[in-house]
Order: sequence, then C-alpha cells, then structure tokens
Amino acid sequence: MLRTVKPKNARSKRVLQAREPKEIEDPRTAIFVKGTHAGERVNAVMKELMALKRPHAISFSKKNAVRPFEDASSLEFWSQKNDASMFVVGQSTKKRPHGMTFVRMFDYKVLDMCEVGVDDWKSMAEFKTPKATPGHKPMLHFASELFESHPRFVQLKSMLMDFFNGEEIDAIHLAGLEHIISISLGPTPPTMNAATTTLEASTSTAEDPSTLPKVHIRAYTIRLLKSGTRVPRVELTPMGPSLDLSLRRHTEADAELWKQAMRRPKLRKQDVEKGLGKKRKNLEVDEMGDLRGRIHVGKQDLGKLQTRKMKGLKAGRDDMLVDAEHDDPMLVDDEGGEDDAEGGERRRKRAKAA
Amino acid sequence: MDVSDILASHEAKQKAVTVEKDIPLEIDAGFLTVTDLNPVDKESYDADREEYLMSIARDGAQALLAALFSLPTTSSPDGPLAQLPPPTTQLPRAKPLPKPKPPTKWEQFAKAKGIHKTRKDKKVWDEAKQEWVNRWGWKGANKDKEVQWITEVRANADVDHDPVKAARDARKARVAKNEKQHQQNLARAMPLPVGTSSTGAPADRKRQIDRTLAVTRTSTASMGKFDRRLEGEKKLKGVKRKFDPTEISAASEKSRDLAILSKLDKEPSTKKTKSSESSASDVLNVRKAIRSASKGKGSAALAREAGGGKGKNFKKGKR
Repeated sequence: MLRTVKPKNARSKRVLQAREPKEIEDPRTAIFVKGTHAGERVNAVMKELMALKRPHAISFSKKNAVRPFEDASSLEFWSQKNDASMFVVGQSTKKRPHGMTFVRMFDYKVLDMCEVGVDDWKSMAEFKTPKATPGHKPMLHFASELFESHPRFVQLKSMLMDFFNGEEIDAIHLAGLEHIISISLGPTPPTMNAATTTLEASTSTAEDPSTLPKVHIRAYTIRLLKSGTRVPRVELTPMGPSLDLSLRRHTEADAELWKQAMRRPKLRKQDVEKGLGKKRKNLEVDEMGDLRGRIHVGKQDLGKLQTRKMKGLKAGRDDMLVDAEHDDPMLVDDEGGEDDAEGGERRRKRAKAA
Repeated sequence: MDVSDILASHEAKQKAVTVEKDIPLEIDAGFLTVTDLNPVDKESYDADREEYLMSIARDGAQALLAALFSLPTTSSPDGPLAQLPPPTTQLPRAKPLPKPKPPTKWEQFAKAKGIHKTRKDKKVWDEAKQEWVNRWGWKGANKDKEVQWITEVRANADVDHDPVKAARDARKARVAKNEKQHQQNLARAMPLPVGTSSTGAPADRKRQIDRTLAVTRTSTASMGKFDRRLEGEKKLKGVKRKFDPTEISAASEKSRDLAILSKLDKEPSTKKTKSSESSASDVLNVRKAIRSASKGKGSAALAREAGGGKGKNFKKGKR
C-alpha cells in the first residue's frame, strides 16, 4: 500500500486530481511486464502490442519475478504507483512456453486474468505496407459465435475491447479511422456447438483449454474507395502484427468485485448535452440552444503597438526640437512648417550654423 | 422512359457496400466494434487462412463503416464529426464511481433551512479607485481599513488604540475561524481510522480524556510521585499482571506446543513477506519461541535433535 500524499503545490494537486475516479473514465493504461524469463518471441509480441496500444502504454524494461496467478501483490502495487489498470505479463516457462497474461484491475485490485500462449506471430515490420498513425482509435472486429456463448471467449472479447478501445467517446472524425483489428477464432470444434457450450460451460468450468479454438489477431489498414453512394467501399491491407494465440489459464472476476465494477453513473440529460460528464469550462447553452463560449483575452499592451512609421514620431525627437527652438526662436517663426519633417531637418542645420 | 438500367446500376453500387450474412452483424458504434456471430467456415479456413480472415474482416469493416457513415454529424474546425451513440457493450470500470463530496456543516444547515447559496463575485467595484478590485487576497478590498491613511477614532478611545492593528486583528481572527471550521469539516468527513471504535459519543470521549490524563500524570521525571495532588484526584490504577496457570490440562498444553512446532516446520519467510506476516495478528513470536525451545542454540540445532542425528548424514550428501 502506498502512502497517501497530500499535495503541497498546485501541480501535484492537479496530478492527484487527474487520478481520482471519474464518471466517464479515460482509456486504461497498460503496463507491459516481463516475467523472470520472457523469451524472444514474447518480448517481440509485447513490443508489437505496445505499438498498437500507445500512448496509453508503459513498458517495464527489467525482468520481474511476478506470477499473476499466484501472487498479485506486485501488480496491485504497480497499478497504484503508475495509475494503470491493465497489465500484460510476458512469461515463458518449460510448462507454459511463450505465455502472455492479460490482467485487468479494478480499484487497484485484480479483477480478472486471462493467459494466452503465442503460437505464431508476424511483426509489423514484416509487412511492407503503410501503417496506421499511433494514437488513432482502431475499429474492432470479432468473428465467431463463441464470443457470445462461451464464457472464456466472452471474457477474452471484453478484455481485448478494454485493451484496444475501452474509452467512451461521443464523437469521432471519420477520416481518422485508419485501421481495424480483427480478432477471429479457428473453426469451432463439433463438441462445442452453440447448443452444447452453454450447458457445458455452466456445468464444468475447468475444461481443457487445449480443445478451445485458436485466436487469430490481425491488424489491417483500411482504404476507402468511392462507391457512388454515401458509404464508401472498404478495402483492407494487412498492417501487422498478426498473432495466433491459444487460451490457457484464466481467473474469472470475483462476483462482488464485478458487480461494483459494472456500476454505471447516473447521467443527467444536461450533462450529456454538455459533453458527457467531462468538465468543460466557460461553455454554456443559452435559451436558444446555441453553445456559447467565453474567451479570456489578456490585457493588450498598447504602448508597444506598431503604428505608421514617421520620422517625426521617433523617440528622442521632441527634446532636440525643443533645444533648437530655444536657441533661435526667430528662425522657427520664419519657417512656419513645424510639423514638416524636412523643415525640421533644415532648421537644425541652421541652428548649428548660428 | 425506362429507368431499369439506372436502378440496376444503383443496385450494383449498393451491392458493393452492403454485407449479406446469415446472421446479421452486431455493431456497437460507441466502441467502434463489430461482432460477427456467424460460424467459421472450416473449408475456406483450411484452404487459405489469411485470405479467409481478411475477407471476413473486410465484411465486418464494411458493415461498421456503413453504420458510422450513417450517423448524424456535426461540423468542427477539423472536418465533420460523427456523433456516436452510447456503447451497448458494458465494460467494467477501472475505478469505483466518484463519491459525492460530504456536505459541510453549513451546507447541512442551509439545506435544512432552505437557504440558497448566492455566489459572490471575486471582484468588487471600488468607487474611489473607479476600477474592479479583488474582494480578498492581493490588494483585496477587505484590507481597506488597514491601508487607508486616515481613520476615524471615537473620542473616548484608549490612548494606545491603534485602529489599523484592530482592523488587522479582526481580519486575521476571521481567517483563523474559517480555517478552524474547515478543519472541523474535514475531520467530520474523514472515515474513522480502523481499530478505533470511537463514535464521538460522550462516554468514548471521557475514556479518551482519562487515558490521556493517566499518561500525562506519569510523564514527569518522578513518574508523578512528587507531583502536587489536585483536590478530588483519585489514585491511578495500574495494570495487574496476569500469569498463565502453572497447571493446565494436557490437551491445551499439547495444542500450545504443537502450534510452536508447526511454526518451526514452515519454510523461513523471505524478507519481503516477513513484515506483512508479523503485522498480521501473530500471537506467537517465532524467533523467541525457537530460542527458548532450542535453549539458545538456534533452529538448525533443534532440527538436528528432532531428526535424531540425521543432520550429519545430510551434510555429507549432495547439495
């Protein structure tokens, strides 16, 4: 448990405020942790996943003796320390080679976990194709009936949605949609048909994970072609990474914790209109329903305002004139044109002569 | 006029952007997610897996984009923004819902009395200066009395009456009072620390005061022996020492000893877990128990004794 910090200055206060629970949450930050031995494959796969997850990703570069299924205390500590609510732990052992564990947290405590083994993978660099801009939101595609019926895959879907896309947004710029991440399963084995799975799942939770179909994660960039209608035609180009995963161990969420985590805020209609609970300053909707904003402009320094440049307006000009007049007031009277720049010049020359 | 070819061409265009599936795709526009619940076609999967996966992904993307492009849009400086509906999939939250701020004592009172809060502006209009000044703080209007160069004083005022000081003291007192109330509000809002059963009841408070008094009475150099007694002060009661009975039943003695042995049997705890273990309600001090049971020789000696000379053989063995 970390000590509670009382903010001593405005900046640390803002940082702590940003960590406080919000009604509409930010996307989950994921920490990528290497176990005691991760191995080349898992390291590379985690790097690829991190590239997709950026900027909400933190990498732990050192190895850590962490076994999420046995002792989650380290994860809880890191979660609090980094304000991260998701983990990807890479661990390769003789019994479970090339393993990755997705861990989801709630209130800095472990909510649920899902372990996958990396059977096959291809990196982003191997596809010589254009890539999506980092930080752009991906679209997600899940393909199999098991994502609806089988508890393991329901959990996997929820986990991956949280990992790639778990942020509620109210609007999106359609031109910014650049890639789609497709998660599909291998063919459903005949023992797990829709009718049997629900029954089986309810009776035996500890079934052999090796019978489950493989998970294929593919990322594609999209190209929008003109179709003559409002909706463009979509073409896909493989972007990478492409991963073939098999499910291994998992832990379901504790029922009580899950119930707490699924609580929804009561949003007032006004809040929904005003940007979904996010604090927006100086914006209000007037009686006509128009959004009105107030802008605070700093005070303008008119002393430095650049006006038309003229010799007569130069600084230090007045004193000279006064001197000249003082020497020979008669000459000034003769000249008559006081405001004329050239006249002033001549006047000074004469004054010198005198 | 024959419009059949126009219709046909339109249909062809539509065909390119619509997706036909046995089970219609489930689209969650709020999370930009599409779920294809059709079973995987084993034949095409086995024939060319990458091609097949890409084709179903394309269908999904097409359906999702069709849904997104049909959403209402609003304009923005960067271009049109599609207004997304709230997501239909429920994902667990990362943190609990924010707790409502506990009301202050004044807020409770105002609510009970039906008093509405009127918000004061931070700036007030200064007639003399003809400009807006801060109500408080830097060059604040609440310091007017302290900075004005002439002050009216009552005729019967003290000789050493300093109106500037009086005004300043009054202001400082107001600030201190507010700060005190703020602290009390914070204390009221704080949850009680674990372990204390104090409910703020008078009986609890009395016990706390008695305890503090007892501590202070023995906190002098003479442990309170030579302190002046107050009238009606009672003699302090000490703590009576309690001893275990010399004779106990064999069963309870056995269970007590077995508890020690079971502790000895355990693997030595690592440094990290030690602190957490000792903090957990541990009645038995293992280190002390080992010392007394082995008569100061340590756990290794105890294990050797218990094993009946096995220790020597063990030493010779492969490590």
